[in-house]
Amino acid sequence: MHEMSVAMEICRMAEERLTPEQIPQLVEVGVEVGDDSGLEPENLRFCLEALLQHPPFVGAKPVIRRTAGDALRLDYLEIDDGRPDD
Amino acid sequence: MAVRTIEVREKVMAKNDELAAEVRQKLAAAKVPSLNLVSSPGSGKTLLLERTLAELGQELRFAVVTGDVQTQNDADRLAKHTQRLVQAVVTNGACHLDARQVMEALSVVDLADTDMLFVENVGNLVCPASWDLGEVAKVVVLSVTEGEDKPLKYPKMFRMAEAAVINKIDLLPYVPFDIEKAIGFAREVNPALRFFRTSAHTGAGMDEWYGYLREKIAAARAS
Repeated sequence: MHEMSVAMEICRMAEERLTPEQIPQLVEVGVEVGDDSGLEPENLRFCLEALLQHPPFVGAKPVIRRTAGDALRLDYLEIDDGRPDD
Repeated sequence: MAVRTIEVREKVMAKNDELAAEVRQKLAAAKVPSLNLVSSPGSGKTLLLERTLAELGQELRFAVVTGDVQTQNDADRLAKHTQRLVQAVVTNGACHLDARQVMEALSVVDLADTDMLFVENVGNLVCPASWDLGEVAKVVVLSVTEGEDKPLKYPKMFRMAEAAVINKIDLLPYVPFDIEKAIGFAREVNPALRFFRTSAHTGAGMDEWYGYLREKIAAARAS
């Protein structure tokens, strides 16, 4: 339950960070979860996978990196905009 | 390669913490203390507030924000005991209130005409512990129909709280709840926790609770 609430906040942050054009291009969401954060990483992954399957998202993959301490951060967002690198 | 990485490196709670600081600042400027009432569902938070509004409403001006996953039943119940506005927040599935919802609710509260703000959080002993709502204190409500070991099972909530209300004490003769054991468990996780033993149904112990509320209001005014 707590993981779902955190996953919802991560999705809200992702929406805030991305432009409307970028949201459907989101392919990966990197999250840092501390061992003392009070969260179960696999539960959080499950919740994020569920939320990221639904609009406005189109199936981005959560990537959870475990760290020491109580950190809980949205680390990065990876988008595939279909354009070649500069 | 068409994949681009946008570095974020932002705490998940950062936005909430920022808004909670704004709520806290706004309330402090108005000298209005806010209590965030948290508990599992069915502990009697709403009845505790109903009785408080009914018995202290002539003396003190309370504003109330209630949070529920669905329905505004709690707000409707509380509105029967006060002429003042009771703000209902329906979270639509979210298991806690957040600072943004409290800030929005405050936009229609006349803080100059308010002595204390109650935030009745969603019934849940897990998630609300992690969300700062700009309160001066969290108050955890535990009823005697629950297990004495709730403080051990949900330590973060009891650690974050300043006070614990042990409610429904009128039912003690009928349930196998050892109140001293519950207090002992709670002190294991938070030695500084203050306790109130109440029955919001019969009114037992409510005077001590009211004393605490008056104390918080006096402290806010003196700050």
